[in-house]
Amino acid sequence: MPAGINFNLNGNEMLYTGSPEARLLDVLRDEYRMTGTKCGCREGECGACSVIIDGKLANSCLVAMGSIDGSGVTTIEGYSKTARFAALDKAYESVSAVQCGFCIPGMILASECILAATPHPTEDEIRTGISGNLCRCTGYNAIVKAIGIAAEEGDGLW
Amino acid sequence: MVGSERLPDAQSNQPASGSVTAGSLDEALKLRKENPGLIPYAGGTDLMIEGRADAAYLFLGKVPEMKRIAQDDEFIRFGAACTFSQLICSAHTPGILRDACLQIAAPAIRNMGSIGGNIGNGSPKADSALIFMATNSMLRLVSADSERILPIRKFYLGRKKLDLAPDELIVEVLMPIHGIDNYYYKKVGGRRALAISRVAFAGIMDVRDGIICNCAAAFGSIGDVIVCLDEIDRMLVGKSVEEASALKEAYIDAYNMAIVPVAGRVSADYRKQVCMNLLRDFLESNHI
Repeated sequence: MPAGINFNLNGNEMLYTGSPEARLLDVLRDEYRMTGTKCGCREGECGACSVIIDGKLANSCLVAMGSIDGSGVTTIEGYSKTARFAALDKAYESVSAVQCGFCIPGMILASECILAATPHPTEDEIRTGISGNLCRCTGYNAIVKAIGIAAEEGDGLW
Repeated sequence: MVGSERLPDAQSNQPASGSVTAGSLDEALKLRKENPGLIPYAGGTDLMIEGRADAAYLFLGKVPEMKRIAQDDEFIRFGAACTFSQLICSAHTPGILRDACLQIAAPAIRNMGSIGGNIGNGSPKADSALIFMATNSMLRLVSADSERILPIRKFYLGRKKLDLAPDELIVEVLMPIHGIDNYYYKKVGGRRALAISRVAFAGIMDVRDGIICNCAAAFGSIGDVIVCLDEIDRMLVGKSVEEASALKEAYIDAYNMAIVPVAGRVSADYRKQVCMNLLRDFLESNHI
């Protein structure tokens, strides 16, 4: 990998010259100091480290930097500047869908991927869409409700 | 971090690594031949759990020839780097494979995990490999100098032991188009999402004009390798459904003798009982 890894991070063109075997999660948190992406299990079980790569939800703990050469990565830091985030933020707040908050960056990006694919999802589609994002506080019902509210209130954004 | 801000380029204090990215199949095969120690990396969802510090990867996730799904008269040809999500969305994907892919892990893993990785990782719990075993699919194994088509049932030589030369890559999976519509699939896991199979079962019963043309049962998660026993399945081939019904208990007994599960997170006895229950249900769902 002589030339380094080129990728887009939240709209910025990046050249990463570190180890291609490094985890995207670690690079985001430790090298770029973007700590919105949380480290939960480091084995793809919890979804706290979810980011969006080329439009698809991904566990950044299972992504080697070498595999994202040429890709686009969106983290919660980038997504939180969007109107879609504002709609989700408001919907989550309206039903108190956030308790400790550790799962929420991943949960919000999972919500985005659900709504981007299906602007008016069924409850089953929402539950499937967040099935890899574990939350130990809420019991999920408030989160499911919030995504449904965002779909209604944010109609037209997705 | 402000979105428009130019972020600093990260500098690593780790030594230069041996990992390489392939942009085409030719390049991938050349790199594989020159560096047989490289670990083929398609989606990374198994490899990165281990995340070995000394690993050197051959990144294959963007090799166009390994991302294609095509169909000819006989086979659906899935590129080995195709992700489970890609398969779920493809109109070419048969029902049995789609059903299995929908039950693998969760959306984020399905977006990254590949069929080639699932097969090449060599786990007896590999949910898509089970389907390729049940359907007697073929692997196209290619090196810089040669190419061969191998039935996946001959690919697993033992626990994590593959019939794969150091310079070969799994490039495509060739799944038969015909005779796989009548299927039975059950994954038994501890939960609905992110479940590792405790036992997984796939069955094919191809009945034409009342005669069984093909019967195949595949058991996953019970031992070192996925189990397919053609010699037992042949008991029912060429028989009418009525004749097969008369042979039902003999068929189940043969599997009962042959299947010796190992204990893992669940006991061997539990696995055995689940296998037998699923086998019986497979037959009964086909009126046998």
